[in-house]
Amino acid sequence: MKNRVRELREAHGWSQATLAEHVDVSRQTINAIETGKYDPSLPLAFKLARLFKQRIETMFEPDEGR
Amino acid sequence: MPRFSYKRYNLYVLLLMAVYIAVLFWLWPLARGAGETWWKILLAISPVLPVAAVIALMAHRVLASDELQRRLHLMALGIATATVGTLSLVGGFLAAAKVWSVGGDVLIWVFPALCLVYGVSRMALSRWYTGAWGVRGCE
Repeated sequence: MKNRVRELREAHGWSQATLAEHVDVSRQTINAIETGKYDPSLPLAFKLARLFKQRIETMFEPDEGR
Repeated sequence: MPRFSYKRYNLYVLLLMAVYIAVLFWLWPLARGAGETWWKILLAISPVLPVAAVIALMAHRVLASDELQRRLHLMALGIATATVGTLSLVGGFLAAAKVWSVGGDVLIWVFPALCLVYGVSRMALSRWYTGAWGVRGCE
């Protein structure tokens, strides 16, 4: 799944650790989401979308063919 | 559940392992010379108590992890269970067919083998998902 987490985080000037603190996960989890190695659960995806004041579908987009 | 401090977890595991070693070297050897059966059984299984405490600590740590960390713990546990379970089955069948002569005390090694495969798998999975070898992330 493609996502805009890194782009939005950087736009806010936050480090991965700061974002992790905001959504109550580890920094490693944020890193894995940003690099596309881990797709977050629906509750975490909603948490991220709400934090960045985005619609969930504008933040996360399924890869073609999946 | 609040996040679990990695340092505190390591300290508890270290303390419990020290208790385990102390029990193994000072208490457990008394089992062979014990008279009463109930006392013999109690002494023989005494090393299990600190190990059970470590298992409880591990369970607490997994429950206090975030969703990715929990997935990594469970995947590593799955790999360890499948690996050690298969090897135990192979060993069991070889022993039953009298191909491999092995005593019942080999069962002592099942839990350490599980821990070893779990630890290695956990590190490899952590490396793949997060780019770090460490198993931190719950702090």
